[in-house]
Amino acid sequence: MTEQTRDVREIVREEMLRRREILEVLAKGPQTVPAIAVALGVPAHEAMYWVMGLRKYGWVAESGDADEEGHFLYRAIERKGA
Amino acid sequence: MDYDALVIGSGIGGMESALKLGDMGYKVLVVEREASIGGKMILLSKVFPTLDCASCISTPKMAATIHHPNIDVLTYAEVEKISRDAGGHFHAVVRKNPRFVDEDACTGCQQCEMACTVAVPDQFNADLVARRAAYIAFPQAVPKKAVIDRPGTSPCTFTCPAGIKAHGYVSLTRSGEYEKAFNLILETTPLVGSLGRACFAPCEDECSRGSLEGPVPIRRIKRFIADTHYASGNPVGVEPTAENGRRVAVVGSGPAGLTAAWQLRLLGYGVKVFEAAPVAGGALALTIPAYRLPGEVVAQDVGNLVAIGVEIETNHRIDDLEALHRDGFDAVLLATGTPRAARLGVEGEDLKGVVPSLTFLEDAKLGRPQHLRGKHVVVVGGGNVAIDAARSARRLGATVEQVCLERRHEMPAFAWEIEEALAEGVALHDGWGVAALRGPGSVQAIELKRCTAVFDASGRFSPRYDEADRGELACDAVIVAIGMGPDTAGFEGTLAPRRNRTADVHPETLQGGVPYVFACGDVALGATMITTAVGSGRRAAYMIDRYLQGQEFDAAAFDLRLPKVEPEDVLRRQKSHSEKPPGASGKAITNQPSDFWEIEAPLTEEEAHYGAGRCLDCGVCSECHECVNTCPADAIHLEMRPETIEAQVGAVIVSTGFRLFPADLKPQYGYGRYKNVITGMQMDRLLAPTRPYNSVLRPGDGKVPDRIAYVMCTGSRDQTVGNPLCSKICCMYSIKQNQLIMGALPLADVTVFTIDVRTAGKGYDEFYVQAASMGTNFIKGRIAGIRERENGNLIVRYEDIEHEGATREEEFDLVVLAVGVQPNLDTQALFAGDELAHDAYYYVAETDEDLSPGETSIAGVFVAGAAAGAKDIPESILHAGAAVAQAAAYIEGMKVGV
Repeated sequence: MTEQTRDVREIVREEMLRRREILEVLAKGPQTVPAIAVALGVPAHEAMYWVMGLRKYGWVAESGDADEEGHFLYRAIERKGA
Repeated sequence: MDYDALVIGSGIGGMESALKLGDMGYKVLVVEREASIGGKMILLSKVFPTLDCASCISTPKMAATIHHPNIDVLTYAEVEKISRDAGGHFHAVVRKNPRFVDEDACTGCQQCEMACTVAVPDQFNADLVARRAAYIAFPQAVPKKAVIDRPGTSPCTFTCPAGIKAHGYVSLTRSGEYEKAFNLILETTPLVGSLGRACFAPCEDECSRGSLEGPVPIRRIKRFIADTHYASGNPVGVEPTAENGRRVAVVGSGPAGLTAAWQLRLLGYGVKVFEAAPVAGGALALTIPAYRLPGEVVAQDVGNLVAIGVEIETNHRIDDLEALHRDGFDAVLLATGTPRAARLGVEGEDLKGVVPSLTFLEDAKLGRPQHLRGKHVVVVGGGNVAIDAARSARRLGATVEQVCLERRHEMPAFAWEIEEALAEGVALHDGWGVAALRGPGSVQAIELKRCTAVFDASGRFSPRYDEADRGELACDAVIVAIGMGPDTAGFEGTLAPRRNRTADVHPETLQGGVPYVFACGDVALGATMITTAVGSGRRAAYMIDRYLQGQEFDAAAFDLRLPKVEPEDVLRRQKSHSEKPPGASGKAITNQPSDFWEIEAPLTEEEAHYGAGRCLDCGVCSECHECVNTCPADAIHLEMRPETIEAQVGAVIVSTGFRLFPADLKPQYGYGRYKNVITGMQMDRLLAPTRPYNSVLRPGDGKVPDRIAYVMCTGSRDQTVGNPLCSKICCMYSIKQNQLIMGALPLADVTVFTIDVRTAGKGYDEFYVQAASMGTNFIKGRIAGIRERENGNLIVRYEDIEHEGATREEEFDLVVLAVGVQPNLDTQALFAGDELAHDAYYYVAETDEDLSPGETSIAGVFVAGAAAGAKDIPESILHAGAAVAQAAAYIEGMKVGV
């Protein structure tokens, strides 16, 4: 987790770019943020911005309680226009 | 007098001031910079020491403020200047920023947010998550009305002569909404595929990304959008207005005519396009070579017009515009372009084998036999058309030499076109004029003379030659491409041509001397670029509609654009920009081109997506129009502009609050570098009911933190950052958060590193003791530094003061910096004439804090709340009460002349 940190504005801007990829990952089943990050090949904190942005706007939702590692699973939500 | 008092800022101090004055019967104007009133308090989780819900306390005050009969509230507005008039009253100038949303119509449904394609950090969630360019500030916002974040027009969109929302279709492409992107371009012109190939892309010249690694490939993204649409077989995604019974004739089917026809049909007019050539498209179909713009693409674009009911008749030359009017067309638009080729005016010009470039290019485009294989061709001219001709001749098998008056750096052709022509084997002879063409019968040689200057001192075209410096090139054919002009012969009765033969129409309205006749594009402007012609066609349609509706032309209202956002301002928004190199040009240039296949490869979906992802969202709102298309209340109005509101007020209360210390100024704590180091305000957001995450999670990886550390006095009591003051609130808000964390995360360990804990206030110390008894571990020790482990955990190195000052290290999942407060400097230049005094720490100074709280250096101006210094919520309310009492006394004094 010690990789170079990009500007928050730049990371956030890419949410739209990453949305489809994240939804494709979640189409296979709920995933934690670190697992999504691995699937996308990106740092976990960047995936966190995107997943939480998608959650805020109704594309994904948490699925149950946190696992033993302390991570929640997130699932894709079927929505109009998705 | 308009108001008894002006209250600047609507945090808890401002709201309290306004409500108290309003309750006393005074008329109050509240001005709030943000889109909602409420200040910082509404964003908090709970308040100390009662642990009452901050929203539950704030929202009734917010509602009371906005609905109070004696209070007017201007949100999303800024006080620009306050001066005192001769009568002793204050004159306030307020800038009401446009929300681009009709507040009366907006229902706060958030559908615009859901549809928006631009994500930016959410300042109301302390940048922990994204908001949209179209947004409602927060769920409890008052008023709960959307706002579109539009500081200006993105340079790409601002620059487009056609008026295409370039940023909009780029952002839609980034979101994977290709069909919507296509439809957005259709709002401007049906020529999506053609412009995606043949536009000279001034948008890319202006792209802010250009000053980093290179511009976003905006034009090629447009081509991708068009190709994707046409490949899908989807119908045209726009619905024209039902026909209104009125008809417009468009003469000429180039980019200007087709765009005007498209726009007029969308507006409900019956439109018929007359084209003299055998195919529609004008220059797109006839003279732009297929290797740049295939005829099939033009035909697809033309098909858009046919699909919405535009009638196009080819092989029909129009010589009499009045006849069209007599035939029932209510308006006639001339858009015949510049089909007339300029002549050299030299001996031998009429020899066989000497052809105008437009004729040559049309023959090539339409596949008519040219018989140039193995021949030696000389192209005369230095512009883009000459380059097109030279490269076309190469594809037909000729050896090509190009001659032009200008030296290479002066040539009007684009530099990249010249380079590509040279790469394809065209030999350039720059700085030569044509003296004569030699036969006999057919042209066999071209005699040249050295051109010593092309332009005179004033920059006017006025070539001079060295007649003694001559040259000669043997040739089998000469293509003349030295300019082109309109052919307005025959239209003298309706459109008196100017000296340069362009149609004499009004430059703004495009209306000619005969009211029903208009002209647009190159026939009115002279030879231009395709996008300029498209823009002119749009303008003509707008003006014809106004004319036929019997309305004023109101040319200023056409194509309104906000001022351009400057690229340097865009780049300054970020502390750093990671490198995102542009993709390859996609062009395959060979020295022996042998066919007219497109030389530029299309972007793959992946490339288009990547390219669009490089966009910096300069204008924030991309003008993709998704909010406009989605809003069920038709509340979005992008044409809104700032308003200036002036008000005479009796007294002023400054309640502009405070700013939070920027934690990255303590680099040893790693804020901004270590993802799991956050500020106290960020923790408050994580604990609030309207939190950005589904729980208290660390931002680094979404893990529920087990061990949480607090670093007190971050930016307070710290001479190294220039702030010796105690911020007063940090100890208590941290203790509040400790208790809330232990409620939300019962298994979490919380450690507070502190110099000392300051709990001055009723019930405050008990609150502290309660936190300690719940399990918060208070360590008296200063933090030397924090470092990050590979797993995102943080090693806190501290001096353990109570244990002999030993240096220790502890590992935590999450570190919270209890940032202090700073003065809000916005008040410093607010007043003209009088100086609003500030104290040594830049807070608004009170003349006597003990005896006259709230009174400032300016009679009639009072300060309320944390604008005067760090205060917690009860203190701010109390201080606002004092300021209100002072203001009321002042207002009454003014009434009786004291």
